[in-house]
Amino acid sequence: MTELGLTPYLCLGAFLFACGLLCIATKRNAVGILMGVELVLNAANVNFVACARYVPSFALEGQVFALIVIVLAAGEAAVALAIILNFYNNHATVDVDTADELKG
Amino acid sequence: MVGWLLATPGRLYVIATLLPLAAFVLLLVAGCLRGVCRPYRETNPLARFIYFFLGGSRPLRSGAFVATAAIALSAVLAIVGLIRFLDDAQSASVSSLEMEQRWAERTTWAKVGPSGVDSAVTLELGYRIDHLTAVMFAMVAFVSTCIYVFSLGYMADETEEMHEDEEAHTTRPGRFGRFFLFLSLFCFSMLNLVIADNLFQVFISWELVGVCSFFLIGFYHERPSAAFAANKAFIVNRIGDAGFLIGLALVWTYFGTFNFQEIFRDLASGPLPNGMTHTLFVIAGIGIFLGCMGKSAQFPLHTWLPDAMEGPTPVSALIHAATMVAAGVYLVGRCYPMFSPEVRLVIAYTGGITLFLAATIALVQTDIKRVLAYSTVSQLGFMMLALGVGGWESGLLHLITHAFFKALLFLAAGSVILGCHHEQDLINMGGLRRKMPVTAYTMLMGVLAISGTPFFSGWYSKDMILSNAMGFALQHREHIALFILPLVTAGMTAFYMFRLWFLAFTGEPRDLGAEHAHESPPVMTLPLVVLAVLSVCVAWGWPLWDPHASYLGHLLDKANPNVAGATVFEDHRAGWLALVAAASGFALALLIYGLNKIDPDELKERAGAVYDFLREKWHFDELYDAFFVRPAVALGYGSARFDKRSAPLEQAEVADRTMNVTSLDGVLNALGLGTLSVGRRLRETQSGMIRRYVTVLMVAAAAFVAVLVVIYLSA
Repeated sequence: MTELGLTPYLCLGAFLFACGLLCIATKRNAVGILMGVELVLNAANVNFVACARYVPSFALEGQVFALIVIVLAAGEAAVALAIILNFYNNHATVDVDTADELKG
Repeated sequence: MVGWLLATPGRLYVIATLLPLAAFVLLLVAGCLRGVCRPYRETNPLARFIYFFLGGSRPLRSGAFVATAAIALSAVLAIVGLIRFLDDAQSASVSSLEMEQRWAERTTWAKVGPSGVDSAVTLELGYRIDHLTAVMFAMVAFVSTCIYVFSLGYMADETEEMHEDEEAHTTRPGRFGRFFLFLSLFCFSMLNLVIADNLFQVFISWELVGVCSFFLIGFYHERPSAAFAANKAFIVNRIGDAGFLIGLALVWTYFGTFNFQEIFRDLASGPLPNGMTHTLFVIAGIGIFLGCMGKSAQFPLHTWLPDAMEGPTPVSALIHAATMVAAGVYLVGRCYPMFSPEVRLVIAYTGGITLFLAATIALVQTDIKRVLAYSTVSQLGFMMLALGVGGWESGLLHLITHAFFKALLFLAAGSVILGCHHEQDLINMGGLRRKMPVTAYTMLMGVLAISGTPFFSGWYSKDMILSNAMGFALQHREHIALFILPLVTAGMTAFYMFRLWFLAFTGEPRDLGAEHAHESPPVMTLPLVVLAVLSVCVAWGWPLWDPHASYLGHLLDKANPNVAGATVFEDHRAGWLALVAAASGFALALLIYGLNKIDPDELKERAGAVYDFLREKWHFDELYDAFFVRPAVALGYGSARFDKRSAPLEQAEVADRTMNVTSLDGVLNALGLGTLSVGRRLRETQSGMIRRYVTVLMVAAAAFVAVLVVIYLSA
């Protein structure tokens, strides 16, 4: 395989992160926001794995961290879906724009 | 408690002073309780009981009886105290140190200043009885008792549930209790003033009597004239009090004490203490005299007394004839060693101008109370003149005799006013001696006394004053006016007092009110008789025909501070001149008003402009209005304009609700509204839109990271 180096992978991670952030910021659908969160977490994972491959002292830890992040993502997705379910019960919609009770 | 009260005889005076205060407190508490219980009288049984026990919607008469009993007891204690004091003073076995212990006492109630330092201001409460105090106290208490008894009858109008006030065109609840409330407070403060042994206590009482005077003049406060008169009295008094404060401050700074005895001791032992220059001593004296000027209505602070006749007649009798205005003269007598010869000359001239001025105005007044008011101002001028030329004894003797006959005159006037159904104008009276004989003849006693008829009390004091004035004037020829003025005024006094008596009591009734006049009930005529008897005989001495043999005068003289340099001049020929003046005044009044030989209207025509000038009280009110009142009012409106609207005068009453920065209101409004708008803008960040929160978070985090990167790169 051609040795690309660390930088392209970090760029990929950053790009994925930006896409995820944009998704969170712009999606009206709550589940869409969750997808954005998943994208962000995956971007972090890409970062971890890239560092694990190209930084020798980090070889094992990187991949372990990636696994931990996957588990965390799963747990957090479960909780978030529970919240969205409750939100749906109260508002009969998953449009987050209707959640304006904290308006000052 | 009783043991403490009777430990020394001086404490009798303390009890006598506190009795009216107790009556005041009782009336005040009762009134407040009644007012508090009134809204609950339907629902709460206890409130209902208290409310109806304390009189319900009608003013309770028993409060007045309690107050009268208190002051009567005070008078009894005063007389007992006087007798005991004279006993002690005359007995050889009581040393002067013992006298101090038995008849004087003091306690410190406040120390103002750094603690532990000797130079802190020590405020004391104390009393010291000497001859002057004992006699004055007895006079005040006794005259007050007579006036309280008179008021029980005179103020009976106020016991109605709703009283109709014709002058103010309203119907209002009766205020019987309130009258006695303020009268009691007044008596307490006047008695406190008399027994005080230090200037600060005098000052406190001074202010308190001024406040009571304000309340009592403005008793019929629905009438605008009464409200204005009360304001005028208080404000003019305050001007005098400003001088008093200056005097007090100077006394404190250089003598270090307010106590009279200590000040006199300091003054007697040679030079002025603590580097006080003679100029400052003179200024201190003038300052204290200014206070007396305000209180005793001397020129130029005399304008409040005639207007003070808006109050009920017993108030005029007590406050503006016998006691409060006497406080000024009393203080001059008390502080006599503190007045340098220059100040005494000022006092004499002020008294001289006042007595002449007031007498000329009294010549042409038609309201019975105004004549008496100007007469009071004139007689106070006599007292000041006497004190100024060195006649300590004569001035204070005139104070005591004047108190009795002036109170009599005012009470008799009150009897006349009530008898003629609230008619006060002399033009509308006449022939009352047939309808109201007791009032007429007791008032005649008072008129004879004030005119200086031989063997009446006024004669003794006035004779002594004129002899002192003549002696002084002959010694110092440049001050001859100080004798001419009182001599001429003595004649004028006789004239206008007899004019008053003839117009009111002789001739034919000139009005329906006078036609249907009736004599007053005994509760009102008894004090008149008592005061008439005293007006005749209070200054008697042996031999009766010797004007300088007055027993009361000799008593007062025992308290004479005998200031070195204030020698008493006497010239006994003055008595004959005074008699001539008084007789000519009486004769003129008899011709014009008694026998109708000369027509007063013709005299009015021939006098012309002079008559108008006198009628308008020498235009003093207009003068003060133009010089002081108008600028003050204009200043007030100007300040209001700056506050409210920088615009024409008419809009100065309306608050500015704009943000017009040229008015103070506008600037403050701008501040407030600006803050409000900033807050409103800031509130928009809490939009409740989650996506916006995320966006903001994102942008902020990115900015933060960028800043960190820049720092990292440049470091």
